[in-house]
Amino acid sequence: MKVYDGSKAAESEPTERIKVGIAEYDVSTNGAVLTTSGLGSCIGVAIYDRAVGASGLVHVMLPTAEDVDGGNPAKFADTGVETLVSALEDEGADSSNMIAKIAGGSDMLDFSKNGSGIGARNLTVVRETLDALDIPIVEADVGGDHGRSLRLEGETGDLIVKSANREEKRL
Amino acid sequence: MKVDIQSLGTFNQLAHEGAQQATASMAQMTGIDAAVDVTKITLVDRADVGEELDDGEYVGVQFDFEGELSGRTALVLDRPCSETLTDALLPGDSAANMAQSGVKEIGNIMMSGFIDGWADYLETTIDHSPPTYIEGVGRDVIPASKGEAGADGRTDQLFVFKSQIEYIEESVEFYIYMLPDYDSLTSLMTTHADTESDAIPIDKLEVFNQMTERGTQKAAENVSMMTGIDTEAEVSQISFARIEDVPKQIENSRYVGTVVEFTGIPSGFLLVLFDEMSAKNVAEAMMPVEMDGDDLTDQHTAAIEELGNIMTSGFVDGWANVLRTSVDHTPPRLIHDMGQAILDPLAAQVGRHQEHAFIVDSRMRTDDVEFEAEIHALPNEQELREALDALMIERAEETDADPDEIFQ
Repeated sequence: MKVYDGSKAAESEPTERIKVGIAEYDVSTNGAVLTTSGLGSCIGVAIYDRAVGASGLVHVMLPTAEDVDGGNPAKFADTGVETLVSALEDEGADSSNMIAKIAGGSDMLDFSKNGSGIGARNLTVVRETLDALDIPIVEADVGGDHGRSLRLEGETGDLIVKSANREEKRL
Repeated sequence: MKVDIQSLGTFNQLAHEGAQQATASMAQMTGIDAAVDVTKITLVDRADVGEELDDGEYVGVQFDFEGELSGRTALVLDRPCSETLTDALLPGDSAANMAQSGVKEIGNIMMSGFIDGWADYLETTIDHSPPTYIEGVGRDVIPASKGEAGADGRTDQLFVFKSQIEYIEESVEFYIYMLPDYDSLTSLMTTHADTESDAIPIDKLEVFNQMTERGTQKAAENVSMMTGIDTEAEVSQISFARIEDVPKQIENSRYVGTVVEFTGIPSGFLLVLFDEMSAKNVAEAMMPVEMDGDDLTDQHTAAIEELGNIMTSGFVDGWANVLRTSVDHTPPRLIHDMGQAILDPLAAQVGRHQEHAFIVDSRMRTDDVEFEAEIHALPNEQELREALDALMIERAEETDADPDEIFQ
């Protein structure tokens, strides 16, 4: 994981872009733009603390770490959100100031025959985990049957959602 | 000779960590930030190694390594990427010979990290030769593998470890190819196999690869028949990658195609995908009337759905015949979305039960019109192993003699 320290960035430099892959997370305190692409049933959770100007984004793939043993916490909705929050806290952010915006969790290509699909279960776990941490979800663009790509602007905390064949949304 | 899933997973992880270490060395040296995007082990025909390089200009370094694991490895960068890197290393000095020594320098640092990672894991020493500078167009830049065909003289497929590294600011990529000597790798895998029980015989994996090739040929024939466009199966390979790397197997640009879930042994998902331009071209070839405009219409997507359906049947029938089992599939679902978003829910569904996945990739194209189709299959790992266990090698050889008989 990379942490970008605001003190190094000269004001004249163009805004830094940080790409967050599947099952990865990253945080920024210098107003960098965090992006992630190709969310289907995956969910992008963006967390922002305006007071310290810290932002973070995690791209989670599966509902809970209990389902599969071992590996990477950022892969799962529960451990992924928790990991992102503590990474932000390490940067001086305070969970009581944090707000969350979420996007993804589509049920496209869900072949499951019984119960809810992975997208819906990812959503449930993301909501439960954020709720347990007392972090409000202020905006969401979730569900449906299409993919999404996200851009989190560290300056403002705005989350821009792009979809194929749809208008761009600013959350 | 068998290779178990566990050791494939371990080796893949090792290659991934090696690539990360190599990338970190590079970042430290140049101050340029880069990240390892994908690492996968691919079983591929010799002739198809490096097909993803297209026809760009590449430079890099290669060297040989010897020890418990022996073979050849290469670091390949596209030329603009190498110029950026060497410029970061030796600012202002763009003379060709300096650029070359810069590439060699970076290559040496990166690849030493890569090889050392392997040696540490294997608790052994792996020696390597000094780096040699290479340049070339497309796949020609990749050196031939050092080893000859496998001991049985039949093997024309090899395992390649491939890492794609993305250099964030400029979005140029470079690749690490590792071409271990076949015998050296397979004996190492056998040594590191945890249990005999979850092992896949390597020769069967190869046969499976060949069968996939035939399935793709059959699907291509169906396309030719339906559209009148002469279509050829081009590349066919089996890769093994972390679940989270599965969606990165395709671009995130928009694709049109069909997806089915297939059941039986193995179960899994099968995707037939066209980039938008290909979809438009191939659909129009099937239509009686000329279409106006650049947009994909419902007529286009209906044609793609039909085409996806017959390609799926061709492909799945091919598998079923070889495996002597029945493979049923759901009706195709039409999809038109971002490439990675299409693969993502399928990878997640498979990923509930496994951390790594086999991915079958095939491609077909034609010279007549600009058209390319990709077939991807994502089988359940455990069930693929069972299916291969049951696969009689003799059957495959029979097929070698007369593939048409099987793919009727």
